Amino acid sequence: MKHYRQIPFFLRYIINAAVLVGFLLLGNGILSSGVMNRAQSSVVLQIGIYVLLAVSLNVATGYLGQLPLGHAGFMAIGAYTAALIWKALPGKSPAVIVLGLIAGGLLSAVFGILIGVPALRLKGDYLAIVTLGFGEIIRVLIINLPGITGGTPGLMSIPKHSSFLVVYITVIVSCVLIHTLMKSRHGRAILAIRENEIAAEASGVNTTFYKVLAFTVSAFFAGVAGGLYAGYTGILTPGNFTFMTSINILVMVVLGGLGSMAGSIIAASILTALPLALQSFNKYRMVIYALLLIVVMIFKPSGLLGRYDFSLSRILEKIINGQLFKKSQKAGEEHA
Amino acid sequence: MKNVNSNMVPLDGLGIIPERDAGTPPILDIRHLCVDFGGLRAVDDFTLLIGKTEIAGLIGPNGAGKTTVFNLLTNVYKPTEGHILLNGQDTRGKSMHQLNQLGIARTFQNIRLFSGMTVEDNVKVGMSHGYSDSVLSAMLRLPSWWRTERRQHIRALELLDLFNLADKANTLAGNLPYGDQRRLEIVRALASEPKLLLLDEPAAGMNPSETQGLMENIRMLRDEFNIAIMLIEHDMSLVMGICEGIAVLNYGKIIAKGTPKEIQSNPVVIEAYLGEEAVK
Repeated sequence: MKHYRQIPFFLRYIINAAVLVGFLLLGNGILSSGVMNRAQSSVVLQIGIYVLLAVSLNVATGYLGQLPLGHAGFMAIGAYTAALIWKALPGKSPAVIVLGLIAGGLLSAVFGILIGVPALRLKGDYLAIVTLGFGEIIRVLIINLPGITGGTPGLMSIPKHSSFLVVYITVIVSCVLIHTLMKSRHGRAILAIRENEIAAEASGVNTTFYKVLAFTVSAFFAGVAGGLYAGYTGILTPGNFTFMTSINILVMVVLGGLGSMAGSIIAASILTALPLALQSFNKYRMVIYALLLIVVMIFKPSGLLGRYDFSLSRILEKIINGQLFKKSQKAGEEHA
Repeated sequence: MKNVNSNMVPLDGLGIIPERDAGTPPILDIRHLCVDFGGLRAVDDFTLLIGKTEIAGLIGPNGAGKTTVFNLLTNVYKPTEGHILLNGQDTRGKSMHQLNQLGIARTFQNIRLFSGMTVEDNVKVGMSHGYSDSVLSAMLRLPSWWRTERRQHIRALELLDLFNLADKANTLAGNLPYGDQRRLEIVRALASEPKLLLLDEPAAGMNPSETQGLMENIRMLRDEFNIAIMLIEHDMSLVMGICEGIAVLNYGKIIAKGTPKEIQSNPVVIEAYLGEEAVK
């Protein structure tokens, strides 16, 4: 058999980085040229935020195989933390912006550990109920701490730090970090728990640790996404973080394919952009949205991409080996 | 085949171990193990010694409690009475993954692979200790991540090669043929560098030639890695062919212990398997 030529790692990194920078310049160019109106460019930011929310939920749902329903709670913690820091620290320096996002993520991660340790003893529906309760507790706490959070009317005049550049870089960095985590022995341990928990434990995987780890990573990046959300809207009210928000994010993950980062990104983009694109027939918007979900679940129950993950290098390798249209022997593999 | 057919010698009046292991303490020392499920005593007064490089067999009719013994050894169940010493250490209160670190690895009667992961990744998951790269170094791809990945990759292929599975390293485990899945489970168990390997019906569903191959594999493992292997099996040609010490379980009780020869001619064993008339 002819040797299958592979692209060396460093070259892969350069290619990937070049493509990402290319997208950055392209996006920035389009947004600053004024081709898009305000509503459209704000949708671009929303897409970025929801992509990060979906990708982060995918860690706990798709990779770990649990069903948490309190993602909006983690998002809220990150959003309020970042907002309060940004309000306290004036200026638009990158350090302030990064500080707010990371502090939001960290506090959210702390709650992830606090909730995860007891809740992850439960499975399936029971875990869903507990995390659902957690999300609601966070929302009620926010309402009842008006001194800090502004209560029901909300937190106003938050500096709008979430420019396209900030959102894009944050989302890309987060996705890369989650991806590299999953391509390590730690990531494999998390996947092994999804595949067969007893076998994982018997193979020496500390399942408690890795469950809490996955849950915490998921919470951290949800917190970061919350920070981006705060810097995008400028106003936070508890109504932004209801149970429905958690469900919306979950729908994106399920629609994209549990365990596929590319799927989460595509589904989050479509489901965020769709309502805007359908504005002209506003009446039927929710009908179309629901129909789309039903159709996908009937014809592709594993989600749009299943567990497939997109890899530019893999496609390039196929091209240089002249096998692009041959059926892959590695079908279903999760390399990227 | 340097270890085959070593004589079995008694140890402390508790059991027998291969003569070559007589100088070292037994890898597994089980004393008076009992477990109750509600009112049912599933395992009763189970006492067994296994030598450091012994291939031991646990046989018995269906429902005798063989898998329950394995589950007690790996702390899936807590024993009601008695204790287990693994390499001299009491296993009580240890979690399953801690026991794995102490040197016990197992396969399952109903195959439990990570079927959505590749063959290579299945083996890598088994390499769960002895690596120190942190979560953060993995996320940032620091040098320790590269070292771990390279070491695990090389080791995984070495282990897979022992069972002729190396060329299937990138296949999804769930897509392997049945016999390969059984063997992959053994490779995964080996990856954690156990001192005692528990095989639960490794030959189940295999044809005679596959069973023959498996027998050679098991012997090779013991010789290559110098480990003890305990297996549950219904295929008597395999059990009698490779096991040095055999324990026969019926209704949770050990009814006979000894070498394959002694077991084959033991009337109590024949009665348990074939019924009272067969003995007369």
